[in-house]
Amino acid sequence: MGMLQRILWNNRGEFLEGLLVTAEISLIAIAVAMAVGLVICLVRMYCRPLRWLALLYIEFCRSTPIYVQLMWVNYVWPELFGWPQSFFAAGWAALALQSSGYLAETFRSGIEGVARGQREAALSTGLSPFLTMRWVILPQAVLMMTPSLMNQFLVVVKSSCLVSVIAVPDLMYRALRLTSIWFEPIEILSFTAFLYVAIVFALSAAIKWYSDRLRSRYA
Amino acid sequence: MLGDWIQAVTGSLFWEYRRILLFGLATNFYVFLLSAVLAMAMGLLACLARLSPLRAIRWCGTFYAELFRNTPEYVLLVWVHFVPPLILTLLLRTRINFSPLFSAVVALGLASSGYFTETFRAGIQSIPRGHVEAARSTGLSGALTFRWVILPQAVRKMLPEALNQFISLFKSTTLVSLIAVPDLMYQVSMITQEQMRPMPLYSGAAIIYFVIILCLSALVRKFSEGWRAVGRA
Repeated sequence: MGMLQRILWNNRGEFLEGLLVTAEISLIAIAVAMAVGLVICLVRMYCRPLRWLALLYIEFCRSTPIYVQLMWVNYVWPELFGWPQSFFAAGWAALALQSSGYLAETFRSGIEGVARGQREAALSTGLSPFLTMRWVILPQAVLMMTPSLMNQFLVVVKSSCLVSVIAVPDLMYRALRLTSIWFEPIEILSFTAFLYVAIVFALSAAIKWYSDRLRSRYA
Repeated sequence: MLGDWIQAVTGSLFWEYRRILLFGLATNFYVFLLSAVLAMAMGLLACLARLSPLRAIRWCGTFYAELFRNTPEYVLLVWVHFVPPLILTLLLRTRINFSPLFSAVVALGLASSGYFTETFRAGIQSIPRGHVEAARSTGLSGALTFRWVILPQAVRKMLPEALNQFISLFKSTTLVSLIAVPDLMYQVSMITQEQMRPMPLYSGAAIIYFVIILCLSALVRKFSEGWRAVGRA
């Protein structure tokens, strides 16, 4: 018990700060992924000449392992685009890159899931295409894709531990550093693994509960 | 700027190191095969536990699947590599180390087995109860019913999902470079340190994985359509 207290409780600040960084990078990544995914999805659906480019982007994001993307973004992007200049930015950019491909497909299936007749009816009552999108298609599509969107967030949280590899001070990074300071991997690593499992499990239980509620209320 | 872009896509550095890189890719496949076997075996066990008539065993199976589905692979990889050897060392009072390959296979296999548990269970439970009852009433034993009635249908149902799991598993094998298993990403980072030119190598690695996984998933899609069609007939 003394050992547990010495290592885990006395370093609670480290763990908490690490958790905050994990939360921060995951939230930024999913927000960027949603924005980029939406643009890619719209290009793929409504912009004929650029459709192949959007498809290539989606396939690239979905078919490349996240770790490879992380390394690629971290080492290659600064030379190619002059950005990102910090590890933190490279971390969320890589996480967002991966998710944006999946989200583009989620958005597409959500929009295509709204029955065709709804769009035609809205257009024939005189709504502009934009207003149709805003008031008829989107509300229904959002409802349909909310569960997969939240699941994608779960995936981002799970993969976010990889950013520790490029020295972003998230939970995993701090755990590894504490391990190398204290040489007590049993306590520190097991506690870290427990934290991750608890967070991911709690999130996925919450997502399941919320999706069930959505389904029972609207469908 | 233009020179950078050209350098990013040319393969001369790749050609120079083709032996090492190919060996790295082979290591990826080797880790994949071993952990796939472990994942299927453990997944099957946990799935049978989840379908057991005893509540305690069912609960164990559920706990197992949830535990490994909710652990990030990298965290599990590091944990398996450092914690169990140390515990064994303390218990047995002899120094025990896991080789990186062993840790990699165990960690990836366990992580993936959680998903396989669910896939197998969904496949088996999708078989209508009536089929089992009909088989039993014609006099087939429990084992024979499982072998000849449930399994052939369940395998067909779960195959597309299982193949997708295999692809995810293959993607995760890139993580093993982090505990110094000499896979493609590991070799790439080693060569980068030697040559100080990360761009062509990391771009090349990304393209190689992209092409391999794209081909694999295209194959899976083709196969699953065929299997679904057979299932319906």
